[in-house]
Amino acid sequence: MKNKNNFIFITGIACLISSAASAGFNSSGALFSVTSSVGSGTLVNVPTQITPSAWSNTGSWTGTNASVTWANDIQGWNSTTSAGFTNGNIVIRNNTSAAQDFAVTVAMLGTATGPLVAAGSVGGQYVNGSASLGSLTSTGALWSAGIDGTTVNTQLNNALFFAQPFQVSSLGSFSFSNLAIGNSVTDRASIRFSLRLSAGGEASFTSAFSFQAVPGPASLALIGFLPIVRSRRRR
Amino acid sequence: MKVTLALLSLGVATIESQASITPPDFQFRVFESGVASGGEACNFGSVNQVSATEWFFQGNHSNTNGTSMSWSYLVDPDPFIIGTFSLTNETAFGKSYVIDFSLPISPAIAQSTVSGQMSGTLTDSNGSGSASMTSTNGGAVYTALADEMFVQSLMSNANQSVSSAFGTTSFSGGSFGQGFPPLAGPAINSTIGIRYSFTLSAGDSVSFSSIFVANPVPTPGALAMGILSLLVARRGRRRTA
Repeated sequence: MKNKNNFIFITGIACLISSAASAGFNSSGALFSVTSSVGSGTLVNVPTQITPSAWSNTGSWTGTNASVTWANDIQGWNSTTSAGFTNGNIVIRNNTSAAQDFAVTVAMLGTATGPLVAAGSVGGQYVNGSASLGSLTSTGALWSAGIDGTTVNTQLNNALFFAQPFQVSSLGSFSFSNLAIGNSVTDRASIRFSLRLSAGGEASFTSAFSFQAVPGPASLALIGFLPIVRSRRRR
Repeated sequence: MKVTLALLSLGVATIESQASITPPDFQFRVFESGVASGGEACNFGSVNQVSATEWFFQGNHSNTNGTSMSWSYLVDPDPFIIGTFSLTNETAFGKSYVIDFSLPISPAIAQSTVSGQMSGTLTDSNGSGSASMTSTNGGAVYTALADEMFVQSLMSNANQSVSSAFGTTSFSGGSFGQGFPPLAGPAINSTIGIRYSFTLSAGDSVSFSSIFVANPVPTPGALAMGILSLLVARRGRRRTA
């Protein structure tokens, strides 16, 4: 009887592990894109492997009197149970004499088997480097998280921040968690910034988007079953 | 051993069309856990002239001690320093850092007013579920310097933390000299600067957006000339009317 219980216990653990493993997180790198009313620019990204399962990206987009730089954009996955990335620190600078629009997308290419639960956060600062009142605005979401091109969460909607000449304005920090994602990730998870910066303005952001596997019904059943098996063993 | 990371060595190609114009010698020095970092020349940045007196420096650098940095600064030798600096501690243990930014000024200022401000973000970059950024030995995170001497500081006894995987928190570090009357500063002969001093947890990132501005106080003679010119302009308008 004792051997039988041991068999059930070990089988249960094995099934649980294999169930989680079926979530199957894979990443095939990062993709950066920048569009701006300033016009075209030159984009350079340098990926560096920092652990067997994590990459760091550093790069920039340089346009005429405007730039976007990113550093410490880290994309990693923890075994087969979770994956996530942070855009590190992104700095968007408008050195022109007029307001300019910027859209920056950071994508973690890869796949993950759903269902998933997602979490994310964003925080930032706005610096007015001009001698006039400056503003940072967005029409719609300044920050959005997406899966396979579909937006799943937005933050800083219709943002409106002002800063006096040569002053800094904190944008605050915002987060979400336990967001249910029913589908699998088949292509990419992404973070997008969309904003308008007045002349001489600089915005910097740090944000993250992560997700983990939801145990399937069979796994939940096994989790419920294990205490029963243990209880029988104690008897 | 002090290691000077010259930001600007560089953008030679960027400014070759203006070869006669030399960018200011804007520099930073990095000390990690009390030891000067690396020794690498920071030839990874660029510099662009934005206006007659303003220059924009940006770049990034990872040293051999597991520290990754990036910067984006608008500076004017007139003088001001304004921009964002970010740093990631890619090692497996917490480290203390001191980062000194220094900008030569021109002309010298006999008597100044000063203002400054900072805010920042802290991020759990390695998804460990926690991150912290604290003052080192209870000191200030931000210190404004003039001729390498203390002017003002912000964020003393700072203790910022994040408690969720890949989480971010923003903090406002406060300001000085932005109200009325202006805050009197010292005479400044050669440089203004900003010093960041903090301890950062393993695998995590912090960024600071900050400003330090120094303005000359008008001398009595200049003030008198200003008032006189206003009166003359006023009389002129009355005559015209």
